[in-house]
Amino acid sequence: MNRAAGVFATPLGRISATIVATYVLAAALAPVLAPYGPEAGDLAQRLAPPSAQHWFGTDSLGRDILTRTLYGARVSLLVGILTVAITAAFGTVVGAVGGFYRGAFDAVVGRVTELLLAFPYLIFAIGMMAFLGPGFANLVAALSLKGWVEFYRLARGETLDQGQREYVEASRALGQKRPRTLFREVLPNVLPAISVLSTLRIGYFMVLEASLSFLGVGIPPNIPAWGSMISEGRGVLFIAWWVSTIPGIALLVLVLAINLLGESLQEVYAPRNKRRGFARPAVGKVR
Amino acid sequence: MRLTKLLERVLSAIPVALGVAVLAFMFLRFLPGDPVEIMLGDTQVSQQQLDSLRSQLHLDKPLLAQLGIFLSGLIRGDLGVSIVKNAPVAKLIGDTLPATIELTIATVLVGILIAMPVGIISAVRAGSWLDRTALSGALVGISMPAFWFGLLMILLFAVELRVLPTSGRIAATMVVDKTTGFMLVDTLLAGNLKAFGGALKHLILPALTLGVVFAAVLARVVRTSMLEVLGKDYVTTARAKGLREWGVILKHALRNALIPALTVTGLQFGELLGGNMIVETVFAWPGLGRLVVSSIFARDYVVVQAAVMLYALTYVGANLVVDALYTLLNPRISL
Amino acid sequence: MHRMKWLLISLAALVFMSAGAEKLTFVLDVTENRSDEGQAIVAQLQAIGIDASLRVWQSTVLRDEMLAGNRSASTSDWGSAYFDPFDLAIPKLRTKDRGNYSFYSNPAVDEAFRIASTSIDDATRSEAYLTAQRQIFADAPLVFSYVLQNIEAASDNVRGWEPAADNSENFARASVIGSDTLVIGMRVDAIVTLDPAMYRDRDTEAVLRNIFDALTIPTAQGQVQPHLATAWRVVDPLTYEFDLRSGVTFSNGEVLDADDVVFTFERILTEGAIDGATSPRAGLLGPIDHVEKVDATTVRFVYKETFPQELVLQALTHFQIVPKDYLSEVGVAAFTAKPIGSGPFAYARGALDSQVVLEANPTHWNGAPELKSVVWQMMPEASTRIAALLAGEVHVIQAVPPDLVERIASVPGVGVHTALGTRSYQIELNNAAAPFNDTRVRQALNYAIDWDSILKNIYRGYADRLSTVFLPSGFGYAQDLAPYPYDPAKAKELLRQAGYETN
Repeated sequence: MNRAAGVFATPLGRISATIVATYVLAAALAPVLAPYGPEAGDLAQRLAPPSAQHWFGTDSLGRDILTRTLYGARVSLLVGILTVAITAAFGTVVGAVGGFYRGAFDAVVGRVTELLLAFPYLIFAIGMMAFLGPGFANLVAALSLKGWVEFYRLARGETLDQGQREYVEASRALGQKRPRTLFREVLPNVLPAISVLSTLRIGYFMVLEASLSFLGVGIPPNIPAWGSMISEGRGVLFIAWWVSTIPGIALLVLVLAINLLGESLQEVYAPRNKRRGFARPAVGKVR
Repeated sequence: MRLTKLLERVLSAIPVALGVAVLAFMFLRFLPGDPVEIMLGDTQVSQQQLDSLRSQLHLDKPLLAQLGIFLSGLIRGDLGVSIVKNAPVAKLIGDTLPATIELTIATVLVGILIAMPVGIISAVRAGSWLDRTALSGALVGISMPAFWFGLLMILLFAVELRVLPTSGRIAATMVVDKTTGFMLVDTLLAGNLKAFGGALKHLILPALTLGVVFAAVLARVVRTSMLEVLGKDYVTTARAKGLREWGVILKHALRNALIPALTVTGLQFGELLGGNMIVETVFAWPGLGRLVVSSIFARDYVVVQAAVMLYALTYVGANLVVDALYTLLNPRISL
Repeated sequence: MHRMKWLLISLAALVFMSAGAEKLTFVLDVTENRSDEGQAIVAQLQAIGIDASLRVWQSTVLRDEMLAGNRSASTSDWGSAYFDPFDLAIPKLRTKDRGNYSFYSNPAVDEAFRIASTSIDDATRSEAYLTAQRQIFADAPLVFSYVLQNIEAASDNVRGWEPAADNSENFARASVIGSDTLVIGMRVDAIVTLDPAMYRDRDTEAVLRNIFDALTIPTAQGQVQPHLATAWRVVDPLTYEFDLRSGVTFSNGEVLDADDVVFTFERILTEGAIDGATSPRAGLLGPIDHVEKVDATTVRFVYKETFPQELVLQALTHFQIVPKDYLSEVGVAAFTAKPIGSGPFAYARGALDSQVVLEANPTHWNGAPELKSVVWQMMPEASTRIAALLAGEVHVIQAVPPDLVERIASVPGVGVHTALGTRSYQIELNNAAAPFNDTRVRQALNYAIDWDSILKNIYRGYADRLSTVFLPSGFGYAQDLAPYPYDPAKAKELLRQAGYETN
């Protein structure tokens, strides 16, 4: 896996990796860096424009946007990374197992994913949030319950592909138990593609969270998250542009950096053009 | 042989759509929220009136009986009557669908118009600053929440510059008779060029908002596949034959690079046909997405389950069309 | 290692000691539209040592949760269509009534409500309402909050229009300088129907009131005035008689008489009368038995139980009279697609989810309107409505968010107009379970929130404080009853009495 270091070979890779690292650092050090508390607001100071006191202005409760953007990095990164971790792990295992063993399991899961794919994401998420109730963990759950399908499809396709390779045939001939082949031989060869899709999906889930906040079913607004900050600011965009623009830029730059990182990863791992499962990139929009 | 395969695929779409409909039906009924309570809100109403309304809407029946009513209606081609709007669901969907289709076509056109040149130039000049700018631009397009971008566009083009209308499909003062429901077609049929221009202007901002995101995706695909094709033997041969560079690119490379672009376009088309709730709300565009989302918040089960089924059908259909086109353009792949 | 152990032990001891007197701990559940307010409230409560936290819900889900008794403190709002507590305070606070999310029950209040909703003497009713208000104020079943004003905006060229307390938009006398068409940007994404028997929301009603006439009409402030009915009298305690205006025709020429009025109400009162469906509007009329024709221009409303005249008159403003002959001839579906009324405007064309166009009815009995047409444009996003007003595409817009008032006020040529609201906003407390089954705790919360600051800052002053859930615009409002003042010291004292620790 040391090939991952190849990301740093290009200037673009270095820049994007630096940006992502900066974000992670800023998120970790938010309590130290932030000039105010994330929930402490002064109603008399609401919607104050950027000034020396509040570099990026204040929101509709008089809270410092810079502070909340810093803290928001924690929540947004967590939403993106956690959801991707869950969906990637689950989707990859199910897809690899299905693609490797085929049979009834594969057929059943195939049908389920077809249904899930044909179910509109936004309706699914609104319904799930109504069913589970509000909250951070529930949001991640609602996003994950459908989000794993993309990973499943990719992992299954890759596994099918790997299954026909010589080394798999060879290990079979050597009499290795099949699960061992799957986890030791096949899965490691599937992972590069998965890791590329993962980086692309992190940004996708963060933008999706923003869209859900637009509909009032995202993260509770007292928890600072970029998505909900952007959508909170939409009501006052005409009088206080900074409320949604600052977290918007923060989100944009991070998603950009993560995507570029994914791109560099892709070039390192798989310079070839991919099959369809891959030519359908994570589109940063929802219905 | 190929025809039977195709037929098989078409037929297999039906159980998926049906499965999604049943899934939607069950999913919706497990959600908290009572459509009658929501509809009546704070109206003065007696318990007896509440009960009679519920029984009229079959909401007092067991779940399986309700599912039976829904499915037997489906067989007769009856999608049911909206709980909140007391109108046939088929009519509600039929009224909103043309607006969504119109926006979808415009979006895809905008996307192609932006993405094709950007993608091609990017591939031909791979590694140049032009390429890098285009690539970053594409990423920005993907990373932008649509409502934020849409509101900024309204602010700029409608409020500050006043060159485009803020929202809606046609100016309030224009009289256009509804024949097809497609505003551009209807205005032409009426021979009203001024209204046609107005309708076109109304389409620009929402189509641009959605189209930029799509263009970002498409441009990347075009670039990647062009790069690959440009390295192929026949292109090198064509170059060696002394054909002019752009001639090679457009005649030989582009045709072969089109296949993946077509895939992405087709899938995007299918997805957009489900309606985009967020852009439709921002631009007051009376499409399917808005109908569905307002219906789910009102727990208007009947509308949502039909719309979800329709969405599944278009989704599966778009996949099918893409696959069929794939085979047509590239005979080496079989369905 | 050893040090670690000691640390743990002393920590445990600390936790144990502080367990003697606990802080008041609860979750404040709010709907999305009030999350700003909720956050401010939670911060204020925390400042005096109440351990409050916030959750934000989809409103439909929260209502279910409240009704099931699962929540202890939640925001809610309830509107009134009568300018009378009859459909606000009563459903919210009468024992086991439909809107009683707090599970409040006080026999004395129930009795006062019974008198107020059945007596036909205004003085008696008023007295009963005053009694109820004082009792409710003392019991503090809820955190009494505020009423929002209706904020609308219009081009300065619009004349003869003002926003109304009940969100109706009356364009009969309106005009626009330099235009014979008025365009209004509606706050909703669609109106429900064009059939006056099948809706229950105010936005649909706003459109229908311009197409149809009712027996009575409210002023923008809610005073009932004669309209299709010119005079009325009490025949006996259960019977009200109305004289109808003569010479009124529907826009298709059909004469409007007692038959149409009786038909209109029979459609609404009879179960399944609308092609098998039942109107959701019957409840608005109270305990009515039937409506009968006396002669061509006289009708009687006969009640099963006594029902105050003021409530009947208020209710009648909400029932648009439909043409019996036309509707019977073409059927419900065709009527809904092309409704005919006797109002100042006639339906021309449109789609309920985008644009409804009305044209002037030149033969209206009260004179033709000045406008040639009115266009109702559905614009659910507030920013879009405002952009359209600033761009000159619409003349009037509904529901301006308080924060954006300044932006509109700063632009020449457009202005903001307000009207009293008819919707009470409050925080429901679950009176049936701890901690809010203790009156002192509920009172403490009423003292603990600085509403003046919240209303001034978050709602920019476009909201008025309420002493209970009775509205100042409604009948029987206790003028002398001052709202709970902001008094954190008093709140803390009440909490200590109830056994809670405070800061």
